[in-house]
Amino acid sequence: MLTKVFAGIAVLMALWSVTDAYTQKSAFVLREEKQANFSPRRGTSLSGSYGSNGTWIFVPTRSTYSGFQGGGPGSGK
Amino acid sequence: MSANINIKKTNRFIDPALYIAFGATGFVFLGLIASAFFGKVLFSRNVRVAEQEVVKIEALKLEPQLVGALRIDAKASIPNNHGVVYEIQLLDKQGKLIASATKNAWRESGIWYEDGESGTWNEDDLDAGLDVRAKKGEEVTVAISVLEYENLSGGKARSLTTFSVDDVIGNQANKPKATTNSVNFDVKITNGVVDGRHLWPGLFGTSALAIMTFIAAPRSGKKVISKTINDSDPSERATLGGADKLVRVRINVTSDETSPRSMQARLVINDSYGEQVYSKTIPLNLTFHREEGKLEKVTGFAQQFFILETQDSYGFHVEVTPDAPVDETTLTVLDGSHTRIPVEAVHIS
Repeated sequence: MLTKVFAGIAVLMALWSVTDAYTQKSAFVLREEKQANFSPRRGTSLSGSYGSNGTWIFVPTRSTYSGFQGGGPGSGK
Repeated sequence: MSANINIKKTNRFIDPALYIAFGATGFVFLGLIASAFFGKVLFSRNVRVAEQEVVKIEALKLEPQLVGALRIDAKASIPNNHGVVYEIQLLDKQGKLIASATKNAWRESGIWYEDGESGTWNEDDLDAGLDVRAKKGEEVTVAISVLEYENLSGGKARSLTTFSVDDVIGNQANKPKATTNSVNFDVKITNGVVDGRHLWPGLFGTSALAIMTFIAAPRSGKKVISKTINDSDPSERATLGGADKLVRVRINVTSDETSPRSMQARLVINDSYGEQVYSKTIPLNLTFHREEGKLEKVTGFAQQFFILETQDSYGFHVEVTPDAPVDETTLTVLDGSHTRIPVEAVHIS
């Protein structure tokens, strides 16, 4: 009985992960107001969002960077 | 009543859940392998973008598609101890901005000192990436914009200069201009790319579940007898069996330091009338537990599979020989058990 439960979950998990990967669930959807499933790649985050009339509006923080967060000891500006 | 006994190897009781769970893992693995073959490279080139500038890279048609998305990857080339804030932008046919994603890229290095030792360290984060999907067909232009470029050690930002053949032979017009700072980007645009980030957790999750299924399979079935006594001869009766059920009998023995090199267990099964239907002496698989070279205890194990044609009340008796060193004996009977591999089963009808 327990093995059937494990196998069932494994099948659901397999279908779920393959579907999400192949349909690119986490991609940016062009002209979609709500980017609910978007997940940034390589630390590249959206710098705006769609307004009610479909125009791209920059986030207010876009021009005010808090500086670079470099690695290593005693570095940075 | 006389019992008809024959022994045969059977794969009837291999748990089908094992095939399903390992099949699920294999499916995700194949998905991972296959994902590498999706994606058609549309553009792959080095692009130079000056500070505060937007450079249009490629105009392309974005269509709704079943598999994959348009992937825009960029990698900045900057000198040491510099940082660049750059953006991947999408423009519509009229040149209006319709999407933007920002990356804070940097490259730093330095010298570390610790306990009289020293060395250099080198770190960077230069890659940016955006996957884009469209709900309806649309022409878009991909652009890169440099918002901010600076020298992290406080000085003036430098550009990495690139020389072409013309520069080497002295063509002044192609020399990089020193007045504006610009950054080189390796830009790659691929269509139909699969997002592998979803497959890795799927692969690990299904593998874990396949292993759990593998562990659980021989423990499956209804535990009809589980008897532990501080002696060598447990005995118990239970109602079990049936033509389509595998009965798994396990004998676990713990004995003291006076145990001999080999031990046996005699297993006797009686039917509901108390008549003996099966009797066999099985050698125990012994494990010697030593502590600092001295024998501490010995554990023994034996297992036997049965198919009892008629469901009925059966009595199971175990006698471990020699019985003197035996501290504890456990008799476990699982009715309707499953296996991982084909097993030898004693068929009693």
